[in-house]
Amino acid sequence: MSYLCLENLVKTFNKTEVVKKLNLEIKQGELVSFLGPSGCGKTTTLNMIAGFTEVDEGKIVVDGKPVHLLPPNKREMGMVFQNYALFPHMTVFDNVAYGLKLSKIGKSETQRRVLEALEMVRLSGYEKRYPKELSGGQQQRVSLARALVIKPKLLLLDEPLSNLDAKLRQEMREEIVEIQKNVGITTIFVTHDQEEALAISDRIAVMYEGRIEQADSPVSIYNHPKTDFVSRFIGEVNQIQGKVTEILGTHQSKLNFYGNEQIVAVNAMKNAEMDFFIRPENIQISLVETNDRNIGFKAKVERKMFLGAKTRYILKAQNKHLIADISNVVLNSNLIHEGSSVYAAWKPEHLLPSRNVR
Amino acid sequence: MKKRLPKIGFHFFCTIIYVFLLAPIVVVLMSSLTATDYIVFPPKGLTLRWYVELVNHPEFMQSFMLSVFVALGTSLISTAIGTLTSIAIVRHQFKGKTAIVQLVGSPLLIPSVVFGVALLQFYSWIGLAASPAALIIGHIILTIPFVMRLVVASLVGFDRSIEQAAMNLGAGKFRVFFQITLPIIKSGVIAGAIFSFITSFDDLTVALFIVSTDVVTLPVRIFTYMQYQYDPIITSVSSIMILLTIVLMIIIERVLGVGKVFASKNQ
Repeated sequence: MSYLCLENLVKTFNKTEVVKKLNLEIKQGELVSFLGPSGCGKTTTLNMIAGFTEVDEGKIVVDGKPVHLLPPNKREMGMVFQNYALFPHMTVFDNVAYGLKLSKIGKSETQRRVLEALEMVRLSGYEKRYPKELSGGQQQRVSLARALVIKPKLLLLDEPLSNLDAKLRQEMREEIVEIQKNVGITTIFVTHDQEEALAISDRIAVMYEGRIEQADSPVSIYNHPKTDFVSRFIGEVNQIQGKVTEILGTHQSKLNFYGNEQIVAVNAMKNAEMDFFIRPENIQISLVETNDRNIGFKAKVERKMFLGAKTRYILKAQNKHLIADISNVVLNSNLIHEGSSVYAAWKPEHLLPSRNVR
Repeated sequence: MKKRLPKIGFHFFCTIIYVFLLAPIVVVLMSSLTATDYIVFPPKGLTLRWYVELVNHPEFMQSFMLSVFVALGTSLISTAIGTLTSIAIVRHQFKGKTAIVQLVGSPLLIPSVVFGVALLQFYSWIGLAASPAALIIGHIILTIPFVMRLVVASLVGFDRSIEQAAMNLGAGKFRVFFQITLPIIKSGVIAGAIFSFITSFDDLTVALFIVSTDVVTLPVRIFTYMQYQYDPIITSVSSIMILLTIVLMIIIERVLGVGKVFASKNQ
């Protein structure tokens, strides 16, 4: 039984459909990320859930009750904004207490819950400070406490970490997940940072041009992308082409890549050209020819970039570029120079078939 | 040595500016203490006689009360209208918006004499006699541009997600306005109110066209009095006005801080 249900949501701004018949179901306690490039409709969708943007068509159902016609102040959702959106004229205590005061909760109860919420975000003792006296990370924590203290039905996070510096961002995201799991609140996390989404989500909804391309666990999204957009958007990919030389059975075909043949688990038609994606970390290189299960072909190292734990090689084979990321533990990068000839290889199971039929 | 010279120049420049700004006030304050029957600077003798003399001129007191009443009314109404108009203009797109902006700002461009003549003709056409209301209406038109300048400045860069956050926590539209929006743009609104008060209290040109024998504002009273007499009572009235302004400024400084009032953005 899903807790939040988005049914055929449509939003149009100035005759352009920003959200196109979007459907999604979220279970209670789940943390789902909306991930996509800017303009994909993720923030618009979030604003429709919060009630700041009117829904043109479709339904939003929370816990069995439709909410899409309610004004934002009746939806009981907690939102954390990108720029914190703290009330600058109120102290930290008053910021967090604001929602409780509106719901006419007694003074001692308010006091108790505010202090509890501040303790949860590790800001005890900051009650009397004003927002401008706090750092960005602290402000975002106040914002989180303010959203959670009213015990909302949903927690909505609108790119909450994008104004923080890299190190703090990582700390904060772990803290958010920890709090989210402890409270057990159903959460939507909007981000354009795929690493962030992969790290914290139970599921990721990858969005593109107003639609959800795929909603799946981080592992599935990364290893089994269902659309070309997801393949390209999540992680990095090389695009390669192969020609089908022989059909060996259902879901078993022999393909020719760069003059070498490899058996791949795909349905194909003989002599068809097929596109595949392969991630840079799944390409291996060596100075000698590899065994037969992995396709091996000659390539030239055009450029080499040392990236710390790994080295990135830009290879050229048959006039096409390939990017290979090799761990420096596996292969000493000093052995390979720009201009060297190497053998590149991949395992057939690492090929991600493209949906583009050619 | 290289750095010293510009610094001395800077201090010199500042001193000149201060002297230029403060000298007239000092002259008025000091000459109000003269013992002579005519205005003279530096004062001859030292007496508070011209302040006591005011008791024999109840018309100054009347005018003062009227001016305060008109200025308060103007300030209140024009701040309310100006603030709401500013919000509409900054936040919404609608037909005729540019026209409204230009129209509301036009009193800044029209010479106040022309505006006074126009008001006089308009009032006699609709049959509105000289009254505090007539003065207040004229002054509202005159002061709305000031209010709008200041309020618009504090609204630009206003992060609307702050209002969304309040809504999200359960606040309705009115609550959001009075508990969130207004407190945040407070400095602009208060500065606008003070500006309108001072502009109205200070206005001579427009008021000259509207006043009658029994409705006379303080600036008009001083102006007409000086046409016939030139005794130090003028300087004592002026001194009282100056002292009142100083008291007002001190109160504002204590309550808000002048820097805060005139800062365009909330920090």
